[in-house]
Amino acid sequence: MQTWKEFEANELTHSAAHHLIAIYEVGLEYGGWARVSDIARELGITRGSVSINLRALKKRGWVDTDEHHMVKLSPKGLKAVQSVLAKKAVVKAFLTNVLNVPEPQAEIDSCKIEHLISQPTGEQLVHFMRFLVSGDPLAKQVLALFKDFHDQCPESKTCEVCQGHCLIEELQRAAL
Amino acid sequence: MNKDRSEIVEDLNRLMAEEVEAFLRYFQMKYRLRGVDRLAAEKLFEEGTRETLEHAEAIAKQIRVLGHSPQLKIELDLRAGPTNLQDALAEMLEVERQALDAYKEVLPRVAGDTMLEDFIRKQINVETEHVQEIATLLE
Repeated sequence: MQTWKEFEANELTHSAAHHLIAIYEVGLEYGGWARVSDIARELGITRGSVSINLRALKKRGWVDTDEHHMVKLSPKGLKAVQSVLAKKAVVKAFLTNVLNVPEPQAEIDSCKIEHLISQPTGEQLVHFMRFLVSGDPLAKQVLALFKDFHDQCPESKTCEVCQGHCLIEELQRAAL
Repeated sequence: MNKDRSEIVEDLNRLMAEEVEAFLRYFQMKYRLRGVDRLAAEKLFEEGTRETLEHAEAIAKQIRVLGHSPQLKIELDLRAGPTNLQDALAEMLEVERQALDAYKEVLPRVAGDTMLEDFIRKQINVETEHVQEIATLLE
């Protein structure tokens, strides 16, 4: 399957991930159980929407409900939440600690991709981060060098990264 | 207006959002329906759109009486395919149940305000009837 189609077919959508995280966070205070009204408030949407969305989550086996319409993550749902939160944490740490992206922007960007990156990529990012903070002199040097690195594009607009098509310029144009 | 009144206005805005969203859902549902029961069910969802819009209007009027303007905040993605009567009714029941619970939740917060209390009680009665009717259809 082509990658963009895989993206569309992703079982855990952004919306689903946030519903599951909201249930998890609201449930922390109530032994895992959450009320639809509290989930709605957490997500800033109506109870009707939450309730309809919960039907899909329930069908996929991510949540359980009781006779009082209280909601709880199933073991499968809890695993999904833990995986998403772990990926978000490592992506955010990478963006802030390595790439020096400001924290608010790192929060937004990590939120956008938290449910999309694969487990192997997430794991490799953790290993890479662990290497950087391992105390290895080379790792320390790399971090320090990058922090002080003031990139200047060559006049020819060619480099090993961009290969004839200046990516920085593309990104700056897109931001206008 | 004191803090409590502002909170009541927020509650009313949330109730209005529930009704407007329900209106949009029922409007779309009418055209998502397939199968032999479609003609009969269409009427039910037409009725649903009329009533939810009336409820939203009534809530907006209450907000205006309190000296505020209605603030409608909805985030809705209604991309959905064709559906059958059973699923459509199950969705309607879910939406009506949530609306009923939302009104019930607001009731204690308007206690003592005769006009608002009467309004919310009336809405609870209407929504209770809706829930019962739809639940009967699903039996």
